[in-house]
Amino acid sequence: MSDDTPDIPTSPPHREGPAPSPKSGSMSMGAFFGALALYAIYVLGTMARGPYAWSATFLSIPAPFIPIALYLVVAIALAVFPRTSRLGTGLLIGLGAFLLLGGGLCVTFLAQVRG
Amino acid sequence: MIGLPFAGNGLVHAGFVGLGILAALLFYAYEKRRRGLSDPRLWPIAGFAVAFGAIGSRVLTWDISRQVSLADWWGNGDRSILAGLVGAWLGVLLAKRLTGYRHPTGDLLAPAVALALIIGRIGCLLTELPGTPTGGSWGVILTPEQAALTGAQAGVGLHPSFAYEIVFHVAAFALMWRYRDRLPHPGDLFICFVGAYALFRFVVEFVRGNEVLWLGMSRPQWFLLAVLPLLVWRVRRVFGSPLRREMEGTAA
Repeated sequence: MSDDTPDIPTSPPHREGPAPSPKSGSMSMGAFFGALALYAIYVLGTMARGPYAWSATFLSIPAPFIPIALYLVVAIALAVFPRTSRLGTGLLIGLGAFLLLGGGLCVTFLAQVRG
Repeated sequence: MIGLPFAGNGLVHAGFVGLGILAALLFYAYEKRRRGLSDPRLWPIAGFAVAFGAIGSRVLTWDISRQVSLADWWGNGDRSILAGLVGAWLGVLLAKRLTGYRHPTGDLLAPAVALALIIGRIGCLLTELPGTPTGGSWGVILTPEQAALTGAQAGVGLHPSFAYEIVFHVAAFALMWRYRDRLPHPGDLFICFVGAYALFRFVVEFVRGNEVLWLGMSRPQWFLLAVLPLLVWRVRRVFGSPLRREMEGTAA
């Protein structure tokens, strides 16, 4: 006996297409603007307050880490949430790029500012 | 061999690091597509690896015995590839926990990491202290100005330790490309790569010129000495099983 029941009208098969995913552009935009925002915060902050002002503390947390910590929390939250995962991923990559490249770029920049 | 054309140039070093990250992400995307993996959680995992790798490369080298604050260490302290790899691994674990992704991802990440290190180490080769003195004709000879910038001896051939590392990663990438679908279990590629790199790095540290910590060995060597037995045990488990004939399944 077959399980097929051709005479009984059935509802059209449910086609489960791929889940709507955010555009890949949001990831590269997130990486670019995330890294840019971090550079802006640190370079402009340093220019405005002097290179040693970052060593001041706020709520016992070294001040330089506050923007990065907040940024990281937001990026993780966005990356974990499916609808914003591409943007969050971009922000995480932007943070990584800022940290890995900042060692060179920011030091050079600060050397120029001081010189 | 020509000395360091960009000795101490942070921009050149950063440029190659950036190119390395970009190449790794592009390869990750290619490999993900080749394996037919479309799970949207794989991109956040890569993002966590990059971010936590960068954080780890700075924070996990923090030496509190030097009585330097974390803020100062963050800005001016040592950075380490090994610490970065540990940070990236922790980041991937955290990402998997938060997103609920259960499959191994090491086989996707390992060749991408090797590619990033090939390119990133070119930046090191052009800007950093190459290594300890060597009697060979292949040594890098620095001018007095370059030697002063890097804290090395001038006019003496120095081991191009970063070139050795680039050669290792090129060979590792080629082998991973060849065997990427043939190892017995998902994740074995990553185990083999990390195990081989740990062993290679332990050896090359003898000519790297890093600060000796104790008994003639540097800080990275002591770290590697602690983790190598675990890695050797894991690699032996990989080769305890026969190779696969062809790609099976889609798990990374």
